[in-house]
Amino acid sequence: MTSAPIRETVTGWYLYGVVPAGGGEAPAARGVDPEHQLVTIDCGGIAGVASQVSLDEFDKSTLPERLGDAEWLERKIRAHEQVLEAVHARTAVVPCRFCTVYRDEDDLKAFLAAHATALAEALDLVAGRVELGVKAFTASEPASAAEQAESGRAYLEARRSEQRRREELTASSSRLAAELHVRLLSAAEDGVVLDLQSREAAGRNEEMLFNGAYLVSDRGHFEQTLGSVAREQGELQLELTGPWPPYNFVPEELGRG
Amino acid sequence: MSRSLQHEVTLLELVDRVLNKGVVLSGDITLSVADVDLVYVGLRVLLSSVATLEEQAQLAAGGVPAR
Repeated sequence: MTSAPIRETVTGWYLYGVVPAGGGEAPAARGVDPEHQLVTIDCGGIAGVASQVSLDEFDKSTLPERLGDAEWLERKIRAHEQVLEAVHARTAVVPCRFCTVYRDEDDLKAFLAAHATALAEALDLVAGRVELGVKAFTASEPASAAEQAESGRAYLEARRSEQRRREELTASSSRLAAELHVRLLSAAEDGVVLDLQSREAAGRNEEMLFNGAYLVSDRGHFEQTLGSVAREQGELQLELTGPWPPYNFVPEELGRG
Repeated sequence: MSRSLQHEVTLLELVDRVLNKGVVLSGDITLSVADVDLVYVGLRVLLSSVATLEEQAQLAAGGVPAR
């Protein structure tokens, strides 16, 4: 352990994720505070991937203000993800939530030690697997007939038939979403249904029907299955994202290890 | 989809994961639920302004926004 050098700012330790011990050096990726290198901190059979961060930025008292700064937030969130992706490319990793910070290295080690068993179990579950995201949207809607109608009557008829079509679509969409999830689960180790994103938030004109994440060991098989579903259900637009570190497949809270 | 919009959508995917998922160790400093809400409020402003720009671009191009 080194004694703290004289600094103008106080630093804490930012924990990105937990990996099996003995995985070698931390990747060269830049962390959330570019001033400091990534390191791995061994603790029994597991290790934390961490870097020092300035508490000017990450202290509890200054964080709320920072979080309102979209530019700061985007930069830090992308840095968090890039570290985890670099780690995930080499080994199993249990991702930690954004902004998990310890006052000093001893605090970090104490927490790793307290949860070592649960963390090792979580690592076993995700080893050799990736998370893939699948979203389904309604296929693009044709231009509205009502808006092109020349007479008032034609307009009303077009509106009615559009209304009917929309109702049918809503009824069939939950069935399609359920079928999609079952098919994808058959090609995955695990899967979860996530909250739908609004059109506005997703930046799409089409309605989101389904949002899921899957823990996958055989990506080729999973993508083939997705391709088959896409061909069979032409009314769905399917979107695949990832591979992601397994954010959705680690326990949210750890029991006392 | 415009490039900037795609960029924001990816950011949303990322935010949903890094803020809401992943293991919560009892760090000395962690984000509270209120902090996370704060992030989404800020993000919504960012995203809706991008969506509005996209809509205006479609209108300018002579298309009808399908919403």
